[in-house]
Amino acid sequence: MKLIINSKEKDINCNTVSDLLKELNLNNDIVAVELNKNIVHRENFEKTKLKNQDKIEIVTVVGGG
Amino acid sequence: MEKLKIGNFEFNSRLFIGTGKYENLDIMKKAHEASGTEAVTVALRRVNLENEKENLLNYIDQNKYKILPNTAGCYTAEEAIRTARLARELKLPDWVKLEVIGDKKTLMPDNEETLKATKILVKEGFTVLAYTNDDIVSCKKLEEAGASSVMPLGAPIGSGQGILNQNNIKIILEQAKVPIIVDAGVGTASDAAIAMEIGADGVLLNTGVALAKDSIKMARAMKLAIEAGRDAYLAGRIPKKLYASASSPTEGISK
Repeated sequence: MKLIINSKEKDINCNTVSDLLKELNLNNDIVAVELNKNIVHRENFEKTKLKNQDKIEIVTVVGGG
Repeated sequence: MEKLKIGNFEFNSRLFIGTGKYENLDIMKKAHEASGTEAVTVALRRVNLENEKENLLNYIDQNKYKILPNTAGCYTAEEAIRTARLARELKLPDWVKLEVIGDKKTLMPDNEETLKATKILVKEGFTVLAYTNDDIVSCKKLEEAGASSVMPLGAPIGSGQGILNQNNIKIILEQAKVPIIVDAGVGTASDAAIAMEIGADGVLLNTGVALAKDSIKMARAMKLAIEAGRDAYLAGRIPKKLYASASSPTEGISK
């Protein structure tokens, strides 16, 4: 399945947001996720299904002023 | 020392410090400790999928420091609101340093967009700390829109030029009903002390500490400057006079 993650196309096989984060080796606690411009709440990571060509934005905290 | 209250948050330290531009995260952590701060700012960015570095959160003890997410890099109210909402998802405290930039080169704030975003974020329950110009009208409007703190700049972000217009900050302070935090421009300890001496409720800085040759020592200098400045403000400075006034008795001089 092709997903657009942070504007880059990736070929990844996963069913849910939770699966995707696991596949990407990302810790659920330190990321926030948008699916097609809508926020996915942390408690919904497991039940939110992904489909081909979904656009996913994954952000975290970085240094700033 | 009396506590600084911003929305429902309370602080003993009046220094807010950033997490950007340090030589490494170990130095940043030690600088935070030396600064005595209780609140550190962070930015939100896309995760680096190719080369995910060690996460900043591992270097911030959230029992000691409240993380204040910023909306740096946003140029519209819409972008800033989106960033604040994403920050909320990270289970960070429900407050935001709202920063909407209007010009890439000077990083000067866009007050119209900042005001628009403030109104919406306040409605959504955020404690908004709004970064703006050292301009009384902008500050008043943000306060009226429900900002819990207004943060006029001392000088452009990262410029280290100090408090360029002390009179503007004084006027803002005279009329403010919410805490005023001088944000941006603080290059060295005396800049922070001046901001506090004229009555600012706090100072937010990043580059002045992060890019100092010795960040940890500068962090401590900022802590001391802010405490000294605050005490001097509370103590009340003497008026400036044109002529001398002897400190020793003028009577009884032995001849």
